[in-house]
Amino acid sequence: MTYVNIAIDDVSSGDKNKKVKLVAFSGQLDESNVDENAKKIYKLIESHPDNLFLIFDFSALEYMNSKSIGYLTDWYGRVTGKNGKIVIARAKENILDILQVVGLTQLINCYPSLEEAKLAIM
Amino acid sequence: MDMRNETSLALPGHPEQPIRITMTLPTNAYFLSGIRDFTFSLAKNVTGFSEQWAYRCQAVIDELCNNAIEHGSKPGDSVTICIESIVGKYIEFSVEDNGSGHPVNAEEMNKLIHERKIPSYIQHIGVRGRGLPQIVIGWTDELEFSDLKPHGLKVRARKYFDKAHETQSVPNRFSLKTFALT
Repeated sequence: MTYVNIAIDDVSSGDKNKKVKLVAFSGQLDESNVDENAKKIYKLIESHPDNLFLIFDFSALEYMNSKSIGYLTDWYGRVTGKNGKIVIARAKENILDILQVVGLTQLINCYPSLEEAKLAIM
Repeated sequence: MDMRNETSLALPGHPEQPIRITMTLPTNAYFLSGIRDFTFSLAKNVTGFSEQWAYRCQAVIDELCNNAIEHGSKPGDSVTICIESIVGKYIEFSVEDNGSGHPVNAEEMNKLIHERKIPSYIQHIGVRGRGLPQIVIGWTDELEFSDLKPHGLKVRARKYFDKAHETQSVPNRFSLKTFALT
């Protein structure tokens, strides 16, 4: 199985009603690991059904395939449908490129730094 | 994994002679990261494509292989991958399955791809369905499906060097062909 790790940390927002999480991906999301690892994000979304704000830190993500992009789209739909938001931070050029070719950058905002992503989501 | 270079002399310095590398891959996603790494290295260091296009090539081969493994074969089978390039002219990927998974013929694949390549499609699909119609079509100039005898499917995708480097945007020229091998 290709290496991938997903680390989830709380981010202080100063707003009790707003649950902000930093989700850091490292490694490669591909057919060998994406289904298993997607469960972690679904579990996170299910445990915070409303007002969940996710910053996906892609700085150490080296590859994502079409299915992982499909999951990303699904997570976005679920989170925004419950007054939340997902943004992407620090994605490498090849990751931004593949998100762009499937049209996802029109749906999910991408920011070059964590600070800008936090500002956008707070 | 069986790997052989059918034209061992076709290395940089022999730009008009095609490099053709054929691999037989077990139908297990475990091997795909190795195929991606190999494709990236080949595209970047041998064929003359830019680093950006080398990344795109690795995504194309990954999606073609995933499709063949998931839809065209069953566990324990193998798929055959061929990468061909003339340095500075093109890189081409072809993947053959034996049709033992969920058999789809070339004509059906052609129809499916046409249905899914429309830009608004992304708003209406779930987790699956972006690989061939959006990534492979977006980053190649030719995509061709052909039926194999007695069963199975071959998909061939080619990217031309000049089209890759004349613009950094998604190419708008694209041909999609389907034919049956006789």
